[in-house]
Amino acid sequence: MGHPRVDAIAGEAREAIERAGSSTELEALRVRFLGRQGALTQLLRSLGTLPPEERPLVGAAANEVKRELEALLDSRLAAAVERERRQQRQQARLDLTLPGRRPPPGAIHPLTRVHDEIVSIFVGLGFSVAEGPEIETDFYNFEALNIPRDHPARDMQDTFYVSDGTLLRTHTSPVQIRTMRAARGAVPVKIIVPGRVYRRDVADASHSPVFHQVEGLAVDRHITMADLKGTLELFAREMFGPGSTVRFRPSFFPFTEPSAEVDVRCFMCAGKGCRACKDGWLEILGSGMVHPQVLRNGGYDPEEVTGWAFGMGIERIAMLRYGVDDLRLFFENDLRFLRQFA
Amino acid sequence: MKIPYGWVREMVDVDLSAEDAADRLVNAGLEVASVTPIAPDVKGVVVGEIEAIEREIGESHGHRLLLCRVSTGRARFPVVCGAPNTTVGVRAAFAPPGATLPGGRAIGVAKIRGVESHGMLCSERELGLGEEHEAGLLLVDGAPLGADLVRLLGLDDRVLEVEITPNRPDCLSILGVARELAALTGARLRPPKIALRESRQAARALARVRVEAPDLCPRYTVRVISGLRIGPSPAWMAARLRACGLRPISNVVDITNYVLWELGHPLHAFDADRVSGQTIVVRRAAAGERFTTLDGQARPLDGSMLVIADPERAIGLAGVMGGQNSEVGERTTRVLLESAYFDPASIRRTSRALGLRTDAAYRFERGADIEGLVAANDRAAQLMAELAGGVVARGLLDVYRRRRKPVRVRLRLARVERVLGIAPPRAQARKILTGLGLAVRDHGGILDVEVPSFRRDLALEDDLAEEIIRVWGYDKLPSTLPGGATVRVARESDRLRQEGLVRRALVGAGLLEAVTSSLSDPTRAGALGATPEPVKVLNPLSQDASHLRVHPLEGVLAVVATNVRRQQSDVRIFELGRTYQRAPGGDTDTSEPRWLALAVTGARRDPSWHGGADPVDVYDAKGLAEHALAALGVDAHTRSGGGLGGFEPDCHGSLVTTAGEAVAEFGELAAAARAQFGIDAPVFAAAVRLDALPAARTFERARPLPRFPSVQRDMAFQITEAALTTAAVEAVIRREAGPLLRDVAVFDVFRLPDGSRSLAWRLTFQADDRTLTDDEVNVIHARVAARVGAELGITLRGA
Repeated sequence: MGHPRVDAIAGEAREAIERAGSSTELEALRVRFLGRQGALTQLLRSLGTLPPEERPLVGAAANEVKRELEALLDSRLAAAVERERRQQRQQARLDLTLPGRRPPPGAIHPLTRVHDEIVSIFVGLGFSVAEGPEIETDFYNFEALNIPRDHPARDMQDTFYVSDGTLLRTHTSPVQIRTMRAARGAVPVKIIVPGRVYRRDVADASHSPVFHQVEGLAVDRHITMADLKGTLELFAREMFGPGSTVRFRPSFFPFTEPSAEVDVRCFMCAGKGCRACKDGWLEILGSGMVHPQVLRNGGYDPEEVTGWAFGMGIERIAMLRYGVDDLRLFFENDLRFLRQFA
Repeated sequence: MKIPYGWVREMVDVDLSAEDAADRLVNAGLEVASVTPIAPDVKGVVVGEIEAIEREIGESHGHRLLLCRVSTGRARFPVVCGAPNTTVGVRAAFAPPGATLPGGRAIGVAKIRGVESHGMLCSERELGLGEEHEAGLLLVDGAPLGADLVRLLGLDDRVLEVEITPNRPDCLSILGVARELAALTGARLRPPKIALRESRQAARALARVRVEAPDLCPRYTVRVISGLRIGPSPAWMAARLRACGLRPISNVVDITNYVLWELGHPLHAFDADRVSGQTIVVRRAAAGERFTTLDGQARPLDGSMLVIADPERAIGLAGVMGGQNSEVGERTTRVLLESAYFDPASIRRTSRALGLRTDAAYRFERGADIEGLVAANDRAAQLMAELAGGVVARGLLDVYRRRRKPVRVRLRLARVERVLGIAPPRAQARKILTGLGLAVRDHGGILDVEVPSFRRDLALEDDLAEEIIRVWGYDKLPSTLPGGATVRVARESDRLRQEGLVRRALVGAGLLEAVTSSLSDPTRAGALGATPEPVKVLNPLSQDASHLRVHPLEGVLAVVATNVRRQQSDVRIFELGRTYQRAPGGDTDTSEPRWLALAVTGARRDPSWHGGADPVDVYDAKGLAEHALAALGVDAHTRSGGGLGGFEPDCHGSLVTTAGEAVAEFGELAAAARAQFGIDAPVFAAAVRLDALPAARTFERARPLPRFPSVQRDMAFQITEAALTTAAVEAVIRREAGPLLRDVAVFDVFRLPDGSRSLAWRLTFQADDRTLTDDEVNVIHARVAARVGAELGITLRGA
């Protein structure tokens, strides 16, 4: 066919490849025949030493054999690799029921989950997030919110003091005043205020001296208690399910007038009455129309604008949502509790 | 406040069950916590008379056990009784065989000390009516023999436990609750009729009142009642007081309590013969004055407190509690009956300062009815005449200098609609207000409303809007959404955004998020060597929650301690929270820096079949801090040491931004701190200053992918000098390698037998415009190796 030297190499190579059993052997053969120092490569390099008339013949023959051997090696190698993987798996005695190599599961704290959910619902409704200091003045926490010194309404919120006139805020409502003042009379104001608050209550299954609230405030030229109800209904449906309804009950907060406690139809018993709700309703937040004096304290004319506000406890909602019957679990951070929220 | 519903129904014609009435009240803003029967399960208990005491059969708890003969009129029963007040001739609660007591306790024939007792004479406690047991049998003198006790004492009634918000002191009485029900149902209100018969003798001639502190006592009235015979209250009144949770004492004292519950105004009776000159002086206490209140406590007073005195000494702590020295007792025959109005703030201050919370103070500090107090005085005087043989002197001593001005509010119905989004028809609004006892004049769309003295909470137009919707029904409010033409895009705050990014990064890295109390034990901060001045709570609940946390790791370390104590030794935890410290400026001279705090201890991963239960080390804490920084796009290098206390000095570093700001610290928790928290195993922790970091990573332009292949070369050095750091070597490598170096990373670290370290780096070279040749890279590699070796005096290994 071609050239005896080429044929000799080709024959030897074909035979060796035929005999080779493993991928390692095949790789060695590739080096031996096609590598830099390989037989065929050497032959091609030595073309110059041949008589000129033989050169094209030998060259063509050698290149053809090179292509042929490459293709042969590739296919034999692929088959060998596959065979070897199979053998490897068999040797490893694969047991697919062994646990996989999982990354360790992290978890967001349940209070954060509820917090994020509430905040994102209200952000979706056009409320921006505002925050404020936890160490507050008596003025922002009480006076400006219509709760004067020596008033029994102060009993509703037993307070930690850190100095005369300075305290740990008992609610997120001081941020109402701070935000209104910062707005300098501009409307609309629509904010949601998540934050940590303090009450001088001994810790038990349903009380904690440290807990979290989310406050909402809307101030505008034409805004009514009916809007408050509609907004909270929307919130309840997002938070507790599309079938949720709310109930307003009259109540008293010094900084709202009229004031309302808001109950949501119990989502555990669908309003039939259960251990969590007693009468089919769950008390989840306090709300009302911003008191005219509070609007004035915030720099607004109550004849020009009206507003409403609401506040809810994150722990309370988290307890209901996750069926946790002892609030202290949230602050103990037992890993076995936290991992449930992974 | 306990409100017996039967008593309410005496004052209002409503045809509602107690439960339905409670529902109506709740829907109008009066919280009703419970509706309970006064004496559940009590059946068949009757009035029995002890006809004879036959013999003593033994002793029990220091009392003689007596075999009595008890008659119910129709039958006689041998009954064993050990009550101290077992006396022939008395009539008492008797449970004959077949009767039932609270808890379904069936009464039959029992053998006591071998003697058969047919039934049982009962004390208050045994009937479930109160706590009183030591006093003995519940006596019902004058009641018809054999009468059913439940009916006789109204024990089939139900009691509403009503919780009144601080704005509604007018509801702190039977009358107040009845008035609400009347307004809610339209039923007629029937306040108790006051029919007072006065003697000819003028009160003015018998007593005198001098008010020296009219600012704290705007009105003080006294009635003089003589001829009193102190004794027990009639059974019906005692039963009512018990149903209200009050303890019957004696007729005169009970009457003041009864009227307090009935009309809501606190009264006090002084024994007139113990009041010097029958002259009452209302004055401020003298500095250092001491006074013994009815409960026997000697109390130090100060000049801000108001006392009721006679010319010689204090006889009462105004509006809070009476005194022992003028207390009505068994021998009292004449009383000065006080009904007054005291300044709410002053009462509140006094009551709080002395820690003396009484029913009277509770009402006065919420605001009493300055006009209605006369009726209360008259009513009590009437009852003293009817039930205690009292003779009421003519006239009321009344010191009332500055009369209350009537409160008038102009109510625009348009305003009601503007606030509520809805308003009832005018006629209905008018009817609602009138029903609440307000005087209304209608000027077509504008109502002129006069507020009665008992509604101190109504002063503004919006207050009346609330009254209207409250009575009309909150269920009438429609549901709408705020309108307005301006649409604004709402955003999460930068802080929340930043914390969210960090949280997601760490949760993704397998950490659990903790939320801990910010009230902390000062010994923790002490053990962590926290330097900022802490914020202390002036009135803490306990020492271990008396400071606000000042060191960022206090919370997570407490979590580590809790879990290790509970046999969970592998902890990987973080918290996003604040610390609190004194710092000049702002409204409160404090600051609240925000932190990411994290702590790890135990094994890096759960042990498993593929191994990997290696213990965590400081590089875990450092890496997690770096991971958090990276989530915010912050690059940082390491500096040893830092500003926070609590780390082992030889294992404490800071992460510093390219701008030179230290934004995080990490290290191994110092042994002393570990001991304080009660943790045995090594703990590694980090704290990241969130306030110093951007809210999020800002992305500018994406880099194109490299078009030419990269080339990698490894180089390893033997480092003998302990002070020479990885970062120092790496800095020289970078400098020497020049612009073609794309990456340099330590990939192998180990200790050599002679104690020196071997560190190996992998260098990645790449050019943007060509494929690098081996020769080109080899030249750079050789130059870097030589220069690093020479400059730092370290040896290239395996060269």
